[in-house]
Amino acid sequence: MTPPRLPFLLLFRESSPELYRPLSARQRQQLLERWTAWYDGLAALGKVHHGHPLEPEGRIVSGPRGERVAEGNLADSGESIAGYFLLTVADLDEATRIAQECPTLDYGMRVEVRAISDCCHLAHSLTPHPAAESLSA
Amino acid sequence: MSSSDTDPAPAGSPEVSPKVSQVVEHFFRHESGRLHGALTRMLGPGNLALVEDVTQGALLRAMRTWSIGGIPPNPSAWITQVAMNLARDTLRHRKMAHGKEANVTLHFEQTLSASPRPDSDDHEIRDDALRLMFVCCHPSQPADAQVVLALKVLCGFSTGEIARAFLSTEAAIEKQLTRTKQRIREANIGFELPQGEELAVRLDGVLAALYLLFNEGYKASSGDRLLREELCQEAVRLLSLLVTHPAGNTPRSHALLALMLLTAARFPSRLDEHGALLRLDDQDRSRWNQALIQRGLMELVEAAQGDDVGEYHLQAGIAACHCTAADFESTDWSRILRHYDELLRLKPSPVIALNRAVAVANLHGPQAGLQAIASIEQRSRLDTHYLLHAVVGELHRRMNNHRAAAESFRLALRHAQVGPEQLYLSRMLDRSLDPSESLGNSA
Repeated sequence: MTPPRLPFLLLFRESSPELYRPLSARQRQQLLERWTAWYDGLAALGKVHHGHPLEPEGRIVSGPRGERVAEGNLADSGESIAGYFLLTVADLDEATRIAQECPTLDYGMRVEVRAISDCCHLAHSLTPHPAAESLSA
Repeated sequence: MSSSDTDPAPAGSPEVSPKVSQVVEHFFRHESGRLHGALTRMLGPGNLALVEDVTQGALLRAMRTWSIGGIPPNPSAWITQVAMNLARDTLRHRKMAHGKEANVTLHFEQTLSASPRPDSDDHEIRDDALRLMFVCCHPSQPADAQVVLALKVLCGFSTGEIARAFLSTEAAIEKQLTRTKQRIREANIGFELPQGEELAVRLDGVLAALYLLFNEGYKASSGDRLLREELCQEAVRLLSLLVTHPAGNTPRSHALLALMLLTAARFPSRLDEHGALLRLDDQDRSRWNQALIQRGLMELVEAAQGDDVGEYHLQAGIAACHCTAADFESTDWSRILRHYDELLRLKPSPVIALNRAVAVANLHGPQAGLQAIASIEQRSRLDTHYLLHAVVGELHRRMNNHRAAAESFRLALRHAQVGPEQLYLSRMLDRSLDPSESLGNSA
């Protein structure tokens, strides 16, 4: 019996790149090494499908007709998302345990753990297979 | 850890991702030095504060992106691109806000279009670093301010690290750096290498600052040993860079580099397993770094081109005598004494005279050593220096004057400030208080 493999997102929330300012060059180097080791470990176990940082610059579209387009450095806002990992794991608890290993938690980063819904109501009729199946090898 | 559209690799063969090991050791330190150099060339030494802001911004951006996304194949190019964009954006903002700095912006844009990849050439990196060295070590700056600024902009040290290395506070270092940058702006210091006669004088200033940097690191301390060794490594790195440039390639520069290498080679054996300072005769010479010694001796050969025999030559010569002696007993003390005699003539100082007295003692016996100490000019300046009392104590010990030895070691201990020295002196005090010799003293 193989455990179910479900998709989860880890969303790396942070205040801004300022998070890293107090770190010395040596600490920065060490932090990157810990991230690489963390990611490589997860990849070796097949628990992370991929991960991406997000560029800080972007736009926010709003208004009833999408007429409001705010432009700028979104990383400066306190709740910005620095990037994400797409995990394939057994359950929310496992995803949470992985999130707890995030090396930048020490420095104030917050990691949001979200299950990816297997299907949205619109797409349900279009795709017979849950998204999870295509993700888990 | 960038994206892979394929499935994750099976366990046991981890997905190949750009490894941090691809990024050389000290990447962030040296990258910040490189960016400071390139940006100062484009923005001018008067804008050092802006240069630092932009560099920090680019490095922070790299941290944010690389942590999650992994390190890109060419991290230097990546970070340079980000820095140039940041610099341009910042200048545009300022121009809009204040309607000034048009000249800086123009110069920046022109330089940028002339050389869109300022990191592409090793020579250019070296030359930028060299010019920045001459800016940091400008004679308008006090010596300690030169070293602090060099550590900040050339070596990528944080103010916190500098504060720890200098046993100061972050606020004090910050304040000093602000003043230094202000003086550079006011003195309107250019980013060109000095020419002609000025070059020799200015080069001496750079060498003196690098010597000071090395010595800061070399001082035994109860503080952060790793950090202190990095100060020495940085001094060696910058000086190694300097001697490859025609402007810095002088016998004197090579002599200083030889001195640093021959001193650094003996680092590993300076302290015992308890962190106590070890005397030369107690050191395990097999732990000396032979590669550094070889490099140092080669530099000494380079240093011998020409007639210049200066302070660094003599000190390097003394270090070479120690490094090439198979054991303490076979040390060429007469040669060392000749070097000290010459050094004392060049630069009379009670500390050098004290070192000379040690050579005298090793050559002619402890009594002669004590006499040499007694005749040191301005010896009173050493009264509060632990080393004077430690040497006197050791010479008394060799003559079996245990009571006098103990007295001197106690005095030395009172003036010693750092852990390794204190540990060594307590041990010497204990030895001279050996119960069979000194029952009366130990009370």
